[in-house]
Amino acid sequence: MNVHDLALVGVLSLSSMTPIALTAVGEVIAERSGVVNIGLEGILLISAWTSVYAGLYWGGWPAGYLMGLLTGLLLGLLHAAIAVYARGDQIIAGIGLNIAAAGGTTLATRAVWGNYAQSPRVPQAPPSITIMGQRVSIMVFAAVVIAFLAWWLLEKTRTGLRIKAVGDDPRAADALGISVEKTRLLATVLGGSLAGLAGAYMSIDYLGSFVKLMSAGRGFIALAAVAFSGWDPLGALLGSIIFGFGDALGRYYSITSGATANAYLYYTIPYILTLLAVAATAWRAKMPRALGQPYKRE
Amino acid sequence: MPEPIVELRGIVKVYPDGVKALDGVDLRLYPGLVHAILGENGAGKTTLMRILYGEIRPTRGEIIIRGRRVRLRSTVDGIRNGIAMVYQHPRLVPTLTVRENILLYFHSAGIDPGELEERLRRAQEITGFSAPLDERVEDLPVGVRQRVDILRGIAAGARVLILDEPTTNLSPIEVEGLMNAIKGMKREGIAIAYITHRLPEVMEIADTVTVLRKGRVVASEVDPRSLGEEGLARLMVGEVPPPPPKERGKRLGEPVLRIHGLRARGKIEVYIDELVVREGEVLGVAGVEGNGQDELVAAIVGYGERLEGWVEVLGRRNPSPREFYKIGGAYIPGDRRKALALFFSVAENLAFLRYAHEGPALLTPGRLVALYREVAEEYNVVAGSPWAPVRSLSGGNQQKLLVGSQLHMKPRLLVAVNPTRGLDVATTRYVRGLIAGLASRGAGVLLVSTDLDEILEVSDRIAVISRGRIAGVLSPEEATPEKLGLLMGGGR
Ligand SMILES: Nc1ncnc2c1ncn2[C@@H]1O[C@H](COP(=O)(O)OP(=O)(O)OP(=O)(O)O)[C@@H](O)[C@H]1O
Ligand SMILES: [Mg+2]
Repeated sequence: MNVHDLALVGVLSLSSMTPIALTAVGEVIAERSGVVNIGLEGILLISAWTSVYAGLYWGGWPAGYLMGLLTGLLLGLLHAAIAVYARGDQIIAGIGLNIAAAGGTTLATRAVWGNYAQSPRVPQAPPSITIMGQRVSIMVFAAVVIAFLAWWLLEKTRTGLRIKAVGDDPRAADALGISVEKTRLLATVLGGSLAGLAGAYMSIDYLGSFVKLMSAGRGFIALAAVAFSGWDPLGALLGSIIFGFGDALGRYYSITSGATANAYLYYTIPYILTLLAVAATAWRAKMPRALGQPYKRE
Repeated sequence: MPEPIVELRGIVKVYPDGVKALDGVDLRLYPGLVHAILGENGAGKTTLMRILYGEIRPTRGEIIIRGRRVRLRSTVDGIRNGIAMVYQHPRLVPTLTVRENILLYFHSAGIDPGELEERLRRAQEITGFSAPLDERVEDLPVGVRQRVDILRGIAAGARVLILDEPTTNLSPIEVEGLMNAIKGMKREGIAIAYITHRLPEVMEIADTVTVLRKGRVVASEVDPRSLGEEGLARLMVGEVPPPPPKERGKRLGEPVLRIHGLRARGKIEVYIDELVVREGEVLGVAGVEGNGQDELVAAIVGYGERLEGWVEVLGRRNPSPREFYKIGGAYIPGDRRKALALFFSVAENLAFLRYAHEGPALLTPGRLVALYREVAEEYNVVAGSPWAPVRSLSGGNQQKLLVGSQLHMKPRLLVAVNPTRGLDVATTRYVRGLIAGLASRGAGVLLVSTDLDEILEVSDRIAVISRGRIAGVLSPEEATPEKLGLLMGGGR
């Protein structure tokens, strides 16, 4: 690989990084409050679908993005209702969402577009710039800005302090009259909304249409990036850059090698990279203490 | 007396599970006075204070603050009405820094964070405490956490401070610091509600005393000094049996615990040349907390590292914890929160505590409930049912459960660390009687305690531990508090 190609891979990885970054940053916020959402994969998929629908029939890409955001928000709300208010098992709720999303979007694709595989293209793409002949959406830059905003929220604001307090010691927070439920609701909805944006990005922005099971494990990669980050939004950004780079590398090799059989092998690069990155970090030490635990006052 | 700042009238509290914790309690708190609230375990002291702080709502009754009737919907209302509560285990977020914990409090109190430094300086003047602002709370010892908890309340302008058994986890020096802080707060006109089971403290610091029994007031605003410790104890629990006279010249049997050349490491390094406990005796280990007691006990029970030398329990060298229980050892840890699973039921906790001893038989609910019945009856554990979660028990009942689970095994060696921590006067005496009784029936007891009275009351011999070494072994006759104090401080 020469310098030009390396730079090209760099540009490609910007696009690959974006959905992971948005999802992981959102999940960092949710998990800091003590709520884990295994259902990110499902949120990505469902919002990818709904945003294409809105983009096609309602108002182009702006409607698409709005719809993605709204879908994520509602699914976050649903998860919070189960995890925070009904004190249900967060893992099971998330798994349920993932399964429902995989089946539901495929069936909906068939019902609306008459085939199981994909939707038509959304005609107009969101604004973008071109680097080395590659389209780079403005959402890529927005994702970076959002990661910094999330960091600012957690480290510099009163709300952030409360989010961290309820995630680490809900009893202590409760003793100060901080509503554990409301704080967790807020964080979970924020997390869901960002995953919704990520889903919209994948379909209406990056690919231009909805494709069956297009999230391809990115929700889980985002969860891995959260652990890798030590529950820090900027760490999550870094983690998703690593994944994005692996993804771009995989695509680069699969195209340049020319052999289809090898392509599948190359596509595993980002997943293996993620596995190694998570294994190499001492992530448990920084895990929010009350992660996954419902809170009930004595 | 001056006008009260706070007045509670006819407070009734029925918990959701039907337990009637308070049944028409009146209480007044006055500026600049320390009002001690006494009562046996489960009397309702903590419940009453949580109501005043706004953490839980009374079923009936009125709360009047500065002459105005208020409804406290949450602790935010309590805090904004100038009430601060310091729980037995400080409720600080361990992963945040001291500063962040104070900021959280200021947010709830509606105070501008910009005033933090200024207000904190003032609170430090009043209390004489200081706080390391940029340290993470979990890196701080318990005593310092409590100081932070008090400081932030005072800094936020609290006029009423509730202290729930504040000295249980403090060393004697820290207790002295707390007493000085209380004096400073009194001078500022802050009203203090002081819950404790330690009567000498009441004598030292309280201006007036209210005694609760089973959710009712049995004595209101009495003068502690005119009643004396015995008088207060009688009010709390009725007649208190005097401590049993110690048997003299007991015949001691075989060693049940021998330690030889033991080197162990935990927070500090411990070296014990020679230490023996025989059948029929209580060996007290006195010392200031943190002088190697934890390491010594961990090495005996087997969950700590033994670097050199050996420990022999009932003839077995260096047993694992499992073996320790199997061969007839029992262990009462110093911190019950580490020994009990608070979110599990009483019965399940019994199963955990006794598993090494009883094995899978306890997986049969019938057997487990039978064990629960025996332990609860024999050791007076008041729990709604075997399936009530341990966290719903009062602190004292949790401790009785822990002690009972161990004594009930009829062990041949008992290692007990601060076994009466958090127990009321009568129960304390009862438990000490049980421990002495165990020894007189032929078991050996190693009693590690930071409470000198406890050591003096029960022990047949007293070892003093200081900086990881045994500084001396005394008979009770030789062991005057002065002599012990000197050895504990590292003197000779
Ligand atoms: N969350 C709860 N749910 C149900 N019952 C409770 C709860 N908290 C306390 N109780 C019960 O209410 C009664 C009073 O408990 P409380 O903790 O106020 O006693 P206390 O006087 O503070 O005792 P101690 O000296 O042991 O701390 C006890 O019978 C206790 O079991
Ligand atoms: Mg209590």
